Amino acid sequence: MNRREALSRVALLMGGTLSAPTLMAFGNNPATLNTSADFVLNDAQRALVSEIADIIIPRTSTPGAKDAKVGPFIELMLKDCYRAQEQQNFVEGLADADARAMKVHNKKFLETTPAEQTALLTQIEKDTMELMKNANVKQVKVGDNVDKEVVEGKKLKGTPFWRLMKELTLFGYFTSEEGATKALNYVPIPGKYEGCIPYKKGDKAYAL
Amino acid sequence: MYLNIDAQKDQTYDAIVVGSGISGGWAMKELTERGLRVVCLERGRDVKHIEGYETAMKAPWEFQHRGRPDNMAAEEYWAGMRTGYTANEEHRYLFENDKQNPYLETRGFDWIRAYHVGGRSLLWGRQTYRWNEEDFMANAKDGISVDWPIRYKDLAPWYSHVEKFTGVSGSKDNLSVLPDSDFLPAMELNCLEKHVKGEVMKKMGRTITIGRVAHLTKPQTWHSALGRAACQYRNMCMRGCPFGAYFSTQSATMPAAMKTGRLTLVPNKIVTEVMYDEKKGKATGVRTIDQNTMEVKEYYAKIIFMNASAIPSASILMNSKSSRFPNGLGNDSDQLGRNIMDHHLAVGASGSFDGYGDQYYFGRRPNGVYVPRYRNWGNDKRDYLRGFGYQGGAGRGGWGRGTSIPGFGAAFKESLTEPGGWTMGLGGFGEVIPDESNRFTLHPTQKDKWGLPVVVFDAAYGENERKMRIDMMNDAAEMLEAAGLKNVNTYNDTSKNPGIGIHEMGTARMGKDPKTSVLNANSQVHSCKNVFMTDGAAMTSASCVNPSLTYMALTARAAKFAVDELKKKNL
Repeated sequence: MNRREALSRVALLMGGTLSAPTLMAFGNNPATLNTSADFVLNDAQRALVSEIADIIIPRTSTPGAKDAKVGPFIELMLKDCYRAQEQQNFVEGLADADARAMKVHNKKFLETTPAEQTALLTQIEKDTMELMKNANVKQVKVGDNVDKEVVEGKKLKGTPFWRLMKELTLFGYFTSEEGATKALNYVPIPGKYEGCIPYKKGDKAYAL
Repeated sequence: MYLNIDAQKDQTYDAIVVGSGISGGWAMKELTERGLRVVCLERGRDVKHIEGYETAMKAPWEFQHRGRPDNMAAEEYWAGMRTGYTANEEHRYLFENDKQNPYLETRGFDWIRAYHVGGRSLLWGRQTYRWNEEDFMANAKDGISVDWPIRYKDLAPWYSHVEKFTGVSGSKDNLSVLPDSDFLPAMELNCLEKHVKGEVMKKMGRTITIGRVAHLTKPQTWHSALGRAACQYRNMCMRGCPFGAYFSTQSATMPAAMKTGRLTLVPNKIVTEVMYDEKKGKATGVRTIDQNTMEVKEYYAKIIFMNASAIPSASILMNSKSSRFPNGLGNDSDQLGRNIMDHHLAVGASGSFDGYGDQYYFGRRPNGVYVPRYRNWGNDKRDYLRGFGYQGGAGRGGWGRGTSIPGFGAAFKESLTEPGGWTMGLGGFGEVIPDESNRFTLHPTQKDKWGLPVVVFDAAYGENERKMRIDMMNDAAEMLEAAGLKNVNTYNDTSKNPGIGIHEMGTARMGKDPKTSVLNANSQVHSCKNVFMTDGAAMTSASCVNPSLTYMALTARAAKFAVDELKKKNL
C-alpha cells in the first residue's frame, strides 16, 4: 500500500505538488487530543467569519468565499476536525478582530470600511507571522507531499486564529463546487496523461 | 455460538484459499484454472467490483469534510492515522476500524489492514518490480538470517506469467539491479522529471526511470475480455477503480477464477485455525467463525493456501494447536511470527526549480519516477548492508501554497488560481534486514470480539536501517542539487514504526532447513505439506523494491506445484 503516502506513498505518486494544505501538528496522537463536539458560533460570529473569508477570497470574475458558503464550512470543520484549543483560539480571534476595530475606529469590525478592514487584517496577519516566528514554528517535510509544522517550546497554544481562518478559507473555497469548477480547471476524468504541454500565463491550475 | 454439523461432504472442496487479496486472488485463479474446485474464505464483507466502490466518482465537495478525517475517525482509525492518509474520507471505507479490531504494541508497529473481499489489492501502491538475482542470495552472502531456498531463475518464468495477465506499465531499462518485466507502454515523465533524469545520469551515472505500475496503459485482448479498460489518469485509485484499470482481485484474478465455474467465494468467514489430522499427518481443513452471526463452520480440502497477509496468516497457524504442534502448526522452528520486515521510508529530500514556467502537464498520472538501487551494488560499498530505491516525482504547486505566504484579497486569489512553481521530491524505500527479535505473538488472555487472541507486536528498526537512512536523506538532496534544484530540504522522520510501509513480510519464512524456517522451496509448510503459504509471510528477506509482484509469482508457482503433486497423489 503498499500504499502511499506521509511518507504517503499516495502523495508521492501525485508528483509532489505540495498542494495539500499544511496542518499544524502539536503531536499527532489522537488519544491525547482534547476535542469538543459542542462547538457552535452565534449569529454575530457567523457573519464575521463569512465576511473575513470573503475578504480573503472575494468575488472577482469568479465566485467568492460567500458564494461558496465557506463560512458554514469553517464552522463545521472546527467543530468536527479540530481540538478544543483551536476552537477557543478561533473564537478569541474573532473577538480580537472586533476589539482591534473598536480600539482604532471605535466601531465593530463589520462596521468599518473595506479599506479599514484590509488594514486590520493585514496587521493581524503580520502579528500572527511574528507570533509563529517567535515560537520557532518550523515547516518540516514528512513526505514528498506532506508538510507538518512543529512548534518548539510552549510559546504557542495551538494554531493561531489567522492561520486557521486562512487555511480553512482556502481549503473550503478551492474544494467547493464554485471554487473548483469556476476558479480552477476541474477535470474529473482526464482520460490521458501528457507530461509536457505548453502553459500560458493566465491559464488556470488544475482543481485536483 | 453454536456448532454447525453440516454434512462434511457439502463443505468439501479440492482447495481452500484463505484470504482474497493480491496473493489470494492469484491462488484462486491459478488453482481453478488448473481444474480444482476452490472455496475462498474471506474474513471481511464483500465489495463488488465497480458497484462496491462507493466513493469512486465523488467530487471533492461531496465529502462532508472534503476528505479530511474528523475527530471521531481519528480516534477509531488510530493506526491508520499514523500514515497520514488512510483515514481520509475518500477511501476510509476500505480500511479497517482499529478501535473495533485492536492490537497491542510492546514496541510499536503501524498495522494498516483492509478486511474485505479484495483486501489491500484495492488499495496498494501498484508499484510493480521484479526482484534481482542478488536479492535472493543476499542473506547467504551477508551471512545473516537464513538463505532463500530459491533463486531468481526459479521465479523468472513466473514473473513473466503474472506480468502478462496483470498488465505492468514501464520502460525497458536493461539493468541487472532492476530486471525488466514484460511491459505495457510506459507512462510519460514530465518536463522537470526529464531534466532531472538527464542531469543525474550525466553527472552521477544514476538511473531515473518512470515507475513501473500495474495499470493498463494499453489493454490487451485478455484484459478487455475481463472487462478491464485503460487508465483514465484520475489518480483516485484507492477508492476502487470503476474502469478496472489497475490490477486488483476484483478487476482481474477473481473474474478469471469465476469464469471457470469452479470458484466459491464466501465472505465474512474468519478462519480461526487450520485443522490437523495426526494420523494422516496433514491438514484436513479450516475452522471459521462468521464475523456477523458468530456461526462456527468447518471447510475441508486436500490442500490449503494461506493468503491472509503476513500477520493474519501466521497468527492462524499459531492458533492451530494440536499435540503434534503445541506451539502452532508448522512452528517446530519457533520462527512463526518472527523476522517481521517492512520497507523503511519517510526519508528523502525535495526542492524547487526555477524554469519551465511555460510548461505544464495534463492528467493525473497515478505514478511517479523510480530511482533503482545503486548503494552496495557493483563496486559501491557502504557501512551498512543492502540498499534502497527512491520513488518521487515533480509537479507544479497548487493553491495550498497560499496558506503559508502572506496576503489576501483579489490579487492573492487570482495568483492562487494559476499553477505555482515546479518542485520535485525523492522519497527513499529501504530494505529492512530480518531480525528474529522483531516479532509478534498472540496475547495469552486478551481476546477480540470473536474470541481470537489479540496480536501483540514487538518490533523496531535497527542500526542498519538507521545508517542507511543517512544516505537515503543525503543522496536524495545531492541528486536534486546536481540537477539544479534550489531550496533543497531534507527530511528523515524517525517517529514512524515498522509497518508504515504497509509491506509486512517474513513471519513464516521460506528456507532450506525445517529447523530454522517454516516454509520450503515449494511454499509448503515443512512439517505439513498440504498447507501452502504465499503471501508476505513467506519472505526470507525484503529487497528494497515493492513486494506484491513477488507474492504473485510465488503464488502462481506454488499453485502449479500443488496441482502437480495432487495429480501424483503426493498430497
